[in-house]
Amino acid sequence: MDFVRAWWRTFSVQGSWNYRTLVAPGVTYALLPLLRRIHEGDPDRLESSVLRHLDSFNTHPYLASLAVGALARLEHEGVSEDEISRFRVALRGPLGTLGDRTVWAEWRPFCLLIGITLFGLGLGALWSAGAFLVMYNVGHFWIRVWGFRCGWRQGRDVGKVLRAFPFERFTDRLWPVTMFLLGAATVLLGREVLATSGGAGSWLLLLIAGLVAIPAFRWPNQFGRLAVGLLLAIPVGWILLAIAGQGW
Amino acid sequence: MPLTEIALTPALWALLAGLGGLLAVDGVSMPQVMISRPIVSATIGGALLGDAAGGMLVGALLELLTMRHPPYGAAKYPDTGPAGLIAGCAYAASGTPSIAILVAAVLVGWMTGWMGAYTGYARRLVNGRLIGRPEWLAADPRRLERRHRSAIAIDALRGVVLTGGLLVPSVLIVSVVGVMPVGEVGTAFGSAAVVTALAASIGSGARTTAPDARAWAMVLLGALLVLAALWGRP
Repeated sequence: MDFVRAWWRTFSVQGSWNYRTLVAPGVTYALLPLLRRIHEGDPDRLESSVLRHLDSFNTHPYLASLAVGALARLEHEGVSEDEISRFRVALRGPLGTLGDRTVWAEWRPFCLLIGITLFGLGLGALWSAGAFLVMYNVGHFWIRVWGFRCGWRQGRDVGKVLRAFPFERFTDRLWPVTMFLLGAATVLLGREVLATSGGAGSWLLLLIAGLVAIPAFRWPNQFGRLAVGLLLAIPVGWILLAIAGQGW
Repeated sequence: MPLTEIALTPALWALLAGLGGLLAVDGVSMPQVMISRPIVSATIGGALLGDAAGGMLVGALLELLTMRHPPYGAAKYPDTGPAGLIAGCAYAASGTPSIAILVAAVLVGWMTGWMGAYTGYARRLVNGRLIGRPEWLAADPRRLERRHRSAIAIDALRGVVLTGGLLVPSVLIVSVVGVMPVGEVGTAFGSAAVVTALAASIGSGARTTAPDARAWAMVLLGALLVLAALWGRP
Protein backbone atom coordinates (compact mmCIF):
# COMPACT_ATOMS: atom_id res chain seq x y z
CA MET A 1 0.00 0.00 0.00
CA ASP A 2 2.87 2.41 0.71
CA PHE A 3 4.15 1.84 -2.81
CA VAL A 4 0.71 2.55 -4.25
CA ARG A 5 0.39 5.63 -2.06
CA ALA A 6 3.79 6.94 -3.14
CA TRP A 7 3.04 6.27 -6.80
CA TRP A 8 -0.35 7.96 -6.53
CA ARG A 9 1.24 11.00 -4.90
CA THR A 10 3.56 11.45 -7.89
CA PHE A 11 0.52 12.77 -9.75
CA SER A 12 0.76 15.92 -7.64
CA VAL A 13 4.54 16.52 -7.59
CA GLN A 14 4.14 19.96 -9.14
CA GLY A 15 1.51 21.06 -6.62
CA SER A 16 4.00 23.09 -4.60
CA TRP A 17 6.42 23.95 -7.43
CA ASN A 18 8.38 27.07 -6.56
CA TYR A 19 11.28 29.01 -8.07
CA ARG A 20 13.76 28.10 -5.32
CA THR A 21 13.53 24.35 -4.81
CA LEU A 22 11.49 23.61 -7.97
CA VAL A 23 9.75 20.25 -7.67
CA ALA A 24 11.64 19.02 -4.58
CA PRO A 25 8.77 19.51 -2.08
CA GLY A 26 6.41 17.54 -4.32
CA VAL A 27 8.90 14.71 -4.80
CA THR A 28 9.50 14.59 -1.04
CA TYR A 29 5.74 14.54 -0.47
CA ALA A 30 5.50 11.52 -2.77
CA LEU A 31 8.46 9.82 -1.07
CA LEU A 32 7.04 10.24 2.44
CA PRO A 33 4.98 7.01 2.66
CA LEU A 34 8.11 5.03 1.73
CA LEU A 35 10.48 7.09 3.89
CA ARG A 36 8.22 6.54 6.91
CA ARG A 37 8.33 2.79 6.27
CA ILE A 38 12.08 2.70 5.65
CA HIS A 39 12.94 4.80 8.72
CA GLU A 40 10.20 3.45 10.96
CA GLY A 41 11.10 3.89 14.61
CA ASP A 42 13.94 6.34 13.86
CA PRO A 43 12.50 9.88 13.69
CA ASP A 44 15.96 11.50 13.48
CA ARG A 45 16.86 9.55 10.36
CA LEU A 46 13.43 10.32 8.90
CA GLU A 47 13.96 14.02 9.59
CA SER A 48 17.42 14.11 7.99
CA SER A 49 16.10 12.12 5.02
CA VAL A 50 13.21 14.55 4.48
CA LEU A 51 15.57 17.51 4.79
CA ARG A 52 17.90 15.96 2.24
CA HIS A 53 15.13 15.55 -0.32
CA LEU A 54 13.79 19.08 0.18
CA ASP A 55 16.94 20.38 -1.48
CA SER A 56 16.41 21.74 -4.99
CA PHE A 57 15.44 19.12 -7.56
CA ASN A 58 13.82 19.04 -10.96
CA THR A 59 12.20 16.43 -13.16
CA HIS A 60 9.48 16.15 -15.75
CA PRO A 61 6.28 15.46 -13.74
CA TYR A 62 5.64 12.11 -15.44
CA LEU A 63 9.21 10.91 -14.77
CA ALA A 64 8.95 11.96 -11.12
CA SER A 65 7.74 8.41 -10.43
CA LEU A 66 11.10 7.09 -11.67
CA ALA A 67 12.92 9.52 -9.39
CA VAL A 68 10.74 8.58 -6.42
CA GLY A 69 11.26 4.86 -7.01
CA ALA A 70 15.03 5.21 -7.38
CA LEU A 71 15.49 7.54 -4.41
CA ALA A 72 13.35 5.31 -2.21
CA ARG A 73 15.51 2.36 -3.24
CA LEU A 74 18.70 4.21 -2.29
CA GLU A 75 17.20 5.15 1.09
CA HIS A 76 16.17 1.53 1.62
CA GLU A 77 19.70 0.33 0.84
CA GLY A 78 21.16 2.76 3.38
CA VAL A 79 23.28 4.58 0.79
CA SER A 80 25.28 7.49 2.21
CA GLU A 81 23.90 11.01 2.26
CA ASP A 82 26.63 12.25 -0.10
CA GLU A 83 25.94 9.54 -2.64
CA ILE A 84 22.20 10.26 -2.59
CA SER A 85 22.91 13.95 -3.12
CA ARG A 86 25.22 13.20 -6.06
CA PHE A 87 22.61 10.84 -7.49
CA ARG A 88 19.95 13.56 -7.27
CA VAL A 89 22.16 16.04 -9.07
CA ALA A 90 22.97 13.50 -11.80
CA LEU A 91 19.32 12.61 -12.31
CA ARG A 92 17.65 15.99 -12.52
CA GLY A 93 18.98 17.07 -15.91
CA PRO A 94 18.17 13.90 -17.89
CA LEU A 95 14.73 13.46 -16.34
CA GLY A 96 13.76 17.01 -17.21
CA THR A 97 15.13 16.93 -20.75
CA LEU A 98 13.85 13.45 -21.63
CA GLY A 99 10.39 14.23 -20.40
CA ASP A 100 10.20 17.59 -22.15
CA ARG A 101 11.38 16.17 -25.47
CA THR A 102 9.34 12.99 -25.38
CA VAL A 103 6.07 14.15 -23.80
CA TRP A 104 5.63 17.90 -24.24
CA ALA A 105 7.38 18.22 -27.60
CA GLU A 106 6.21 14.96 -29.22
CA TRP A 107 3.57 12.79 -27.56
CA ARG A 108 1.20 15.57 -26.56
CA PRO A 109 1.18 17.43 -29.92
CA PHE A 110 0.78 14.10 -31.72
CA CYS A 111 -2.27 13.13 -29.66
CA LEU A 112 -3.75 16.64 -29.86
CA LEU A 113 -3.46 16.64 -33.64
CA ILE A 114 -5.11 13.21 -33.81
CA GLY A 115 -8.03 14.66 -31.88
CA ILE A 116 -8.24 17.77 -34.06
CA THR A 117 -7.95 15.74 -37.27
CA LEU A 118 -10.71 13.37 -36.17
CA PHE A 119 -12.95 16.37 -35.49
CA GLY A 120 -12.11 17.85 -38.87
CA LEU A 121 -12.97 14.55 -40.54
CA GLY A 122 -16.44 14.62 -39.01
CA LEU A 123 -16.18 12.75 -35.72
CA GLY A 124 -18.25 14.49 -33.04
CA ALA A 125 -16.50 17.06 -30.83
CA LEU A 126 -16.93 15.11 -27.60
CA TRP A 127 -15.78 11.88 -29.24
CA SER A 128 -12.73 13.62 -30.70
CA ALA A 129 -11.81 15.16 -27.36
CA GLY A 130 -12.38 11.78 -25.73
CA ALA A 131 -10.18 10.03 -28.28
CA PHE A 132 -7.37 12.50 -27.51
CA LEU A 133 -7.73 11.95 -23.75
CA VAL A 134 -7.76 8.16 -23.97
CA MET A 135 -4.85 7.95 -26.39
CA TYR A 136 -2.73 10.49 -24.53
CA ASN A 137 -3.31 8.97 -21.11
CA VAL A 138 -2.46 5.44 -22.21
CA GLY A 139 1.05 6.78 -22.84
CA HIS A 140 0.94 9.00 -19.76
CA PHE A 141 0.02 6.24 -17.33
CA TRP A 142 2.43 3.83 -18.94
CA ILE A 143 5.36 6.21 -18.33
CA ARG A 144 4.39 6.67 -14.69
CA VAL A 145 4.00 2.95 -13.97
CA TRP A 146 7.13 1.97 -15.92
CA GLY A 147 9.11 4.79 -14.30
CA PHE A 148 8.18 3.84 -10.74
CA ARG A 149 8.91 0.16 -11.22
CA CYS A 150 12.15 0.86 -13.09
CA GLY A 151 13.30 3.34 -10.45
CA TRP A 152 12.65 0.96 -7.55
CA ARG A 153 14.17 -2.08 -9.30
CA GLN A 154 17.27 -0.36 -10.69
CA GLY A 155 18.04 2.12 -7.92
CA ARG A 156 21.44 3.70 -8.61
CA ASP A 157 21.66 1.85 -11.98
CA VAL A 158 18.62 3.65 -13.33
CA GLY A 159 20.90 5.85 -15.43
CA LYS A 160 21.95 2.86 -17.52
CA VAL A 161 18.31 2.00 -18.19
CA LEU A 162 17.55 5.59 -19.20
CA ARG A 163 20.50 5.66 -21.60
CA ALA A 164 19.45 2.34 -23.15
CA PHE A 165 15.77 3.21 -23.44
CA PRO A 166 14.80 4.13 -27.02
CA PHE A 167 13.43 7.61 -26.26
CA GLU A 168 15.27 9.10 -29.20
CA ARG A 169 14.12 6.40 -31.62
CA PHE A 170 10.56 7.05 -30.45
CA THR A 171 10.78 10.80 -31.07
CA ASP A 172 12.60 10.29 -34.38
CA ARG A 173 9.73 8.14 -35.63
CA LEU A 174 6.97 10.28 -34.22
CA TRP A 175 7.81 13.77 -35.42
CA PRO A 176 7.26 13.11 -39.17
CA VAL A 177 3.80 11.74 -38.41
CA THR A 178 3.08 14.74 -36.18
CA MET A 179 4.11 17.10 -38.97
CA PHE A 180 1.89 15.24 -41.44
CA LEU A 181 -1.04 15.58 -39.03
CA LEU A 182 -0.20 19.25 -38.60
CA GLY A 183 -0.62 19.83 -42.33
CA ALA A 184 -3.82 17.82 -42.43
CA ALA A 185 -5.30 19.50 -39.36
CA THR A 186 -4.47 22.95 -40.74
CA VAL A 187 -6.49 22.35 -43.89
CA LEU A 188 -9.38 20.73 -42.00
CA LEU A 189 -9.52 23.54 -39.44
CA GLY A 190 -9.22 26.14 -42.18
CA ARG A 191 -12.24 24.55 -43.86
CA GLU A 192 -14.21 24.79 -40.61
CA VAL A 193 -13.25 28.45 -40.24
CA LEU A 194 -14.35 29.19 -43.81
CA ALA A 195 -17.63 27.35 -43.15
CA THR A 196 -18.22 29.59 -40.13
CA SER A 197 -17.89 32.62 -42.36
CA GLY A 198 -20.48 31.20 -44.76
CA GLY A 199 -17.88 30.09 -47.26
CA ALA A 200 -16.39 33.53 -47.82
CA GLY A 201 -12.93 32.66 -49.03
CA SER A 202 -11.64 29.75 -51.04
CA TRP A 203 -9.22 26.87 -51.28
CA LEU A 204 -6.86 29.40 -52.86
CA LEU A 205 -6.93 31.28 -49.57
CA LEU A 206 -5.90 28.11 -47.77
CA LEU A 207 -3.02 27.56 -50.18
CA ILE A 208 -1.83 31.15 -49.77
CA ALA A 209 -2.07 30.87 -46.01
CA GLY A 210 -0.05 27.70 -46.25
CA LEU A 211 2.77 29.69 -47.84
CA VAL A 212 2.80 31.91 -44.75
CA ALA A 213 3.45 28.87 -42.60
CA ILE A 214 6.77 28.13 -44.30
CA PRO A 215 8.69 31.28 -43.24
CA ALA A 216 6.93 30.97 -39.86
CA PHE A 217 8.94 27.82 -39.26
CA ARG A 218 12.16 29.79 -39.83
CA TRP A 219 11.11 32.75 -37.66
CA PRO A 220 8.75 31.25 -35.06
CA ASN A 221 8.75 34.11 -32.57
CA GLN A 222 8.05 36.78 -35.17
CA PHE A 223 5.32 34.80 -36.88
CA GLY A 224 3.82 33.72 -33.58
CA ARG A 225 3.41 37.40 -32.75
CA LEU A 226 2.09 38.00 -36.27
CA ALA A 227 -0.60 35.39 -35.67
CA VAL A 228 -1.85 37.15 -32.57
CA GLY A 229 -1.42 40.54 -34.22
CA LEU A 230 -3.61 39.45 -37.13
CA LEU A 231 -6.36 38.34 -34.76
CA LEU A 232 -6.16 41.66 -32.92
CA ALA A 233 -6.18 43.53 -36.23
CA ILE A 234 -9.46 41.96 -37.33
CA PRO A 235 -11.72 44.10 -35.11
CA VAL A 236 -9.69 47.18 -36.08
CA GLY A 237 -10.16 46.29 -39.74
CA TRP A 238 -13.87 45.88 -39.24
CA ILE A 239 -14.12 49.30 -37.62
CA LEU A 240 -12.20 50.87 -40.51
CA LEU A 241 -14.48 49.13 -43.01
CA ALA A 242 -17.51 50.45 -41.12
CA ILE A 243 -16.11 53.95 -41.30
CA ALA A 244 -15.48 53.48 -45.01
CA GLY A 245 -19.13 52.55 -45.39
CA GLN A 246 -18.64 48.84 -46.13
CA GLY A 247 -20.48 47.63 -43.02
CA TRP A 248 -18.43 45.72 -40.41
CA MET B 1 -28.86 35.54 -30.04
CA PRO B 2 -30.16 38.59 -28.13
CA LEU B 3 -28.23 39.31 -24.96
CA THR B 4 -31.40 38.69 -22.95
CA GLU B 5 -31.49 35.07 -24.13
CA ILE B 6 -28.03 34.05 -23.01
CA ALA B 7 -28.62 31.04 -20.81
CA LEU B 8 -25.92 31.59 -18.17
CA THR B 9 -27.80 31.05 -14.95
CA PRO B 10 -26.16 31.60 -11.53
CA ALA B 11 -26.14 27.84 -10.97
CA LEU B 12 -24.41 27.24 -14.31
CA TRP B 13 -21.96 30.06 -13.58
CA ALA B 14 -21.08 28.44 -10.23
CA LEU B 15 -20.64 25.05 -11.91
CA LEU B 16 -18.38 26.57 -14.56
CA ALA B 17 -16.34 28.46 -11.96
CA GLY B 18 -15.82 25.21 -10.05
CA LEU B 19 -14.90 23.42 -13.26
CA GLY B 20 -12.42 26.19 -13.98
CA GLY B 21 -10.77 25.41 -10.66
CA LEU B 22 -10.44 21.73 -11.56
CA LEU B 23 -9.05 22.56 -14.99
CA ALA B 24 -6.53 25.01 -13.53
CA VAL B 25 -5.29 22.31 -11.14
CA ASP B 26 -4.99 19.75 -13.93
CA GLY B 27 -2.83 22.14 -15.93
CA VAL B 28 0.12 22.04 -13.51
CA SER B 29 -0.61 20.74 -10.00
CA MET B 30 -2.37 17.41 -10.50
CA PRO B 31 -3.02 15.00 -12.15
CA GLN B 32 -2.12 16.50 -15.56
CA VAL B 33 -4.33 14.16 -17.54
CA MET B 34 -4.83 17.04 -20.02
CA ILE B 35 -8.48 17.86 -19.46
CA SER B 36 -6.99 21.34 -19.25
CA ARG B 37 -6.06 21.36 -22.94
CA PRO B 38 -8.23 23.74 -24.98
CA ILE B 39 -9.62 21.01 -27.23
CA VAL B 40 -11.11 19.43 -24.11
CA SER B 41 -11.88 22.44 -21.90
CA ALA B 42 -13.40 24.52 -24.72
CA THR B 43 -15.42 21.52 -25.91
CA ILE B 44 -16.76 21.03 -22.38
CA GLY B 45 -17.59 24.74 -22.13
CA GLY B 46 -19.31 24.69 -25.49
CA ALA B 47 -21.20 21.49 -24.67
CA LEU B 48 -22.53 22.89 -21.39
CA LEU B 49 -23.96 25.84 -23.31
CA GLY B 50 -25.30 23.83 -26.20
CA ASP B 51 -22.56 23.84 -28.87
CA ALA B 52 -19.85 21.24 -28.35
CA ALA B 53 -18.63 21.45 -31.96
CA GLY B 54 -18.27 25.23 -31.71
CA GLY B 55 -16.34 24.82 -28.49
CA MET B 56 -14.03 22.31 -30.14
CA LEU B 57 -13.38 24.66 -33.06
CA VAL B 58 -12.42 27.47 -30.70
CA GLY B 59 -10.35 25.03 -28.65
CA ALA B 60 -8.52 23.72 -31.70
CA LEU B 61 -7.61 27.24 -32.81
CA LEU B 62 -6.44 28.10 -29.29
CA GLU B 63 -4.44 24.88 -29.23
CA LEU B 64 -2.55 25.88 -32.36
CA LEU B 65 -2.05 29.46 -31.16
CA THR B 66 -0.48 28.21 -27.94
CA MET B 67 1.53 25.37 -29.48
CA ARG B 68 4.76 27.32 -29.40
CA HIS B 69 4.54 27.76 -25.62
CA PRO B 70 5.26 24.32 -24.15
CA PRO B 71 5.48 24.06 -20.33
CA TYR B 72 9.26 23.81 -20.09
CA GLY B 73 10.64 24.43 -16.64
CA ALA B 74 10.06 27.90 -15.24
CA ALA B 75 8.76 29.38 -18.50
CA LYS B 76 5.45 31.20 -18.49
CA TYR B 77 2.83 29.63 -20.72
CA PRO B 78 -0.88 30.20 -21.22
CA ASP B 79 -3.20 28.69 -18.60
CA THR B 80 -5.31 26.86 -21.13
CA GLY B 81 -7.79 25.11 -18.83
CA PRO B 82 -9.88 28.09 -17.65
CA ALA B 83 -9.08 29.94 -20.91
CA GLY B 84 -10.50 27.18 -23.10
CA LEU B 85 -13.54 26.77 -20.88
CA ILE B 86 -14.31 30.50 -20.99
CA ALA B 87 -13.72 30.74 -24.75
CA GLY B 88 -15.90 27.70 -25.47
CA CYS B 89 -18.70 29.04 -23.27
CA ALA B 90 -18.49 32.51 -24.81
CA TYR B 91 -18.66 31.08 -28.34
CA ALA B 92 -21.59 28.80 -27.58
CA ALA B 93 -23.54 31.41 -25.64
CA SER B 94 -23.28 34.08 -28.29
CA GLY B 95 -25.74 32.88 -30.87
CA THR B 96 -25.44 31.86 -34.50
CA PRO B 97 -21.81 31.08 -35.32
CA SER B 98 -20.04 33.77 -37.30
CA ILE B 99 -16.49 34.77 -38.03
CA ALA B 100 -16.92 37.72 -35.65
CA ILE B 101 -17.91 35.49 -32.74
CA LEU B 102 -15.16 33.02 -33.56
CA VAL B 103 -12.48 35.72 -33.59
CA ALA B 104 -13.80 37.31 -30.40
CA ALA B 105 -13.96 33.96 -28.59
CA VAL B 106 -10.43 32.98 -29.64
CA LEU B 107 -9.07 36.39 -28.60
CA VAL B 108 -10.86 36.25 -25.27
CA GLY B 109 -9.46 32.76 -24.70
CA TRP B 110 -5.93 33.82 -25.64
CA MET B 111 -6.03 36.84 -23.30
CA THR B 112 -7.50 34.79 -20.47
CA GLY B 113 -4.77 32.21 -20.96
CA TRP B 114 -2.05 34.79 -20.48
CA MET B 115 -3.80 36.33 -17.48
CA GLY B 116 -3.83 32.82 -16.07
CA ALA B 117 -0.11 32.52 -16.79
CA TYR B 118 0.65 35.55 -14.66
CA THR B 119 -1.59 34.39 -11.83
CA GLY B 120 0.22 31.06 -12.05
CA TYR B 121 3.53 32.89 -11.71
CA ALA B 122 2.20 34.62 -8.58
CA ARG B 123 1.08 31.26 -7.22
CA ARG B 124 4.58 29.85 -7.61
CA LEU B 125 5.93 32.76 -5.59
CA VAL B 126 3.35 32.00 -2.88
CA ASN B 127 4.47 28.36 -2.97
CA GLY B 128 8.00 29.52 -2.29
CA ARG B 129 6.82 31.09 0.96
CA LEU B 130 4.64 28.09 1.89
CA ILE B 131 7.50 25.63 1.48
CA GLY B 132 10.24 28.06 2.46
CA ARG B 133 11.43 26.56 5.78
CA PRO B 134 12.86 23.10 5.07
CA GLU B 135 14.19 22.45 8.60
CA TRP B 136 10.79 23.26 10.09
CA LEU B 137 9.03 21.04 7.56
CA ALA B 138 11.47 18.15 8.08
CA ALA B 139 11.02 18.27 11.88
CA ASP B 140 7.43 17.12 11.37
CA PRO B 141 6.76 15.82 7.84
CA ARG B 142 3.00 16.19 8.33
CA ARG B 143 3.64 19.93 7.96
CA LEU B 144 5.04 19.30 4.48
CA GLU B 145 1.98 17.25 3.59
CA ARG B 146 -0.37 19.99 4.79
CA ARG B 147 1.56 22.74 3.02
CA HIS B 148 1.75 20.77 -0.22
CA ARG B 149 -2.00 20.14 -0.19
CA SER B 150 -2.62 23.80 0.66
CA ALA B 151 -0.61 24.81 -2.38
CA ILE B 152 -2.86 22.65 -4.57
CA ALA B 153 -5.94 24.15 -2.93
CA ILE B 154 -4.61 27.64 -3.67
CA ASP B 155 -4.19 26.66 -7.32
CA ALA B 156 -7.78 25.45 -7.43
CA LEU B 157 -8.99 28.69 -5.84
CA ARG B 158 -6.99 30.64 -8.40
CA GLY B 159 -8.78 28.79 -11.18
CA VAL B 160 -12.21 29.32 -9.61
CA VAL B 161 -11.62 33.07 -9.18
CA LEU B 162 -10.15 33.46 -12.68
CA THR B 163 -13.01 31.57 -14.32
CA GLY B 164 -15.77 33.03 -12.18
CA GLY B 165 -14.45 36.56 -12.60
CA LEU B 166 -13.85 36.46 -16.34
CA LEU B 167 -16.67 34.24 -17.54
CA VAL B 168 -19.53 36.74 -17.57
CA PRO B 169 -17.51 39.64 -19.05
CA SER B 170 -16.16 37.29 -21.73
CA VAL B 171 -19.61 36.03 -22.67
CA LEU B 172 -20.89 39.60 -22.81
CA ILE B 173 -17.99 40.83 -24.96
CA VAL B 174 -18.35 37.99 -27.45
CA SER B 175 -22.13 38.36 -27.52
CA VAL B 176 -21.91 42.09 -28.18
CA VAL B 177 -19.49 41.43 -31.04
CA GLY B 178 -21.87 38.75 -32.29
CA VAL B 179 -24.86 41.06 -32.63
CA MET B 180 -22.90 43.52 -34.75
CA PRO B 181 -23.47 42.91 -38.49
CA VAL B 182 -20.37 41.96 -40.44
CA GLY B 183 -20.61 42.75 -44.14
CA GLU B 184 -19.27 40.57 -46.95
CA VAL B 185 -15.99 42.42 -47.19
CA GLY B 186 -15.56 42.28 -43.43
CA THR B 187 -16.30 38.56 -43.40
CA ALA B 188 -13.83 37.87 -46.19
CA PHE B 189 -11.21 39.98 -44.43
CA GLY B 190 -11.86 38.23 -41.13
CA SER B 191 -11.69 34.77 -42.68
CA ALA B 192 -8.47 35.57 -44.50
CA ALA B 193 -6.88 36.96 -41.36
CA VAL B 194 -7.94 33.99 -39.21
CA VAL B 195 -6.70 31.43 -41.70
CA THR B 196 -3.41 33.30 -42.13
CA ALA B 197 -3.04 33.57 -38.34
CA LEU B 198 -3.68 29.82 -38.17
CA ALA B 199 -0.95 29.19 -40.72
CA ALA B 200 1.50 31.45 -38.88
CA SER B 201 0.76 29.60 -35.64
CA ILE B 202 1.27 26.26 -37.32
CA GLY B 203 4.62 27.27 -38.66
CA SER B 204 5.90 28.71 -35.41
CA GLY B 205 4.40 25.91 -33.33
CA ALA B 206 5.98 23.25 -35.51
CA ARG B 207 9.40 24.40 -34.35
CA THR B 208 8.74 22.95 -30.90
CA THR B 209 8.17 19.51 -32.40
CA ALA B 210 10.26 19.14 -35.52
CA PRO B 211 14.05 19.10 -35.52
CA ASP B 212 14.64 20.77 -38.87
CA ALA B 213 13.29 21.96 -42.19
CA ARG B 214 12.53 18.41 -43.37
CA ALA B 215 9.39 18.84 -41.32
CA TRP B 216 7.99 20.95 -44.12
CA ALA B 217 7.89 18.07 -46.51
CA MET B 218 5.59 16.21 -44.13
CA VAL B 219 3.43 19.27 -43.33
CA LEU B 220 2.99 19.93 -47.03
CA LEU B 221 2.24 16.28 -47.73
CA GLY B 222 -0.46 16.20 -45.06
CA ALA B 223 -2.00 19.44 -46.26
CA LEU B 224 -1.94 18.49 -49.95
CA LEU B 225 -3.38 15.01 -49.36
CA VAL B 226 -6.30 16.43 -47.40
CA LEU B 227 -6.82 19.20 -49.95
CA ALA B 228 -6.87 16.63 -52.74
CA ALA B 229 -9.33 14.46 -50.83
CA LEU B 230 -11.65 17.37 -50.13
CA TRP B 231 -11.39 19.12 -53.50
CA GLY B 232 -14.79 19.74 -55.01
CA ARG B 233 -16.67 18.66 -51.90
CA PRO B 234 -18.87 21.25 -50.16
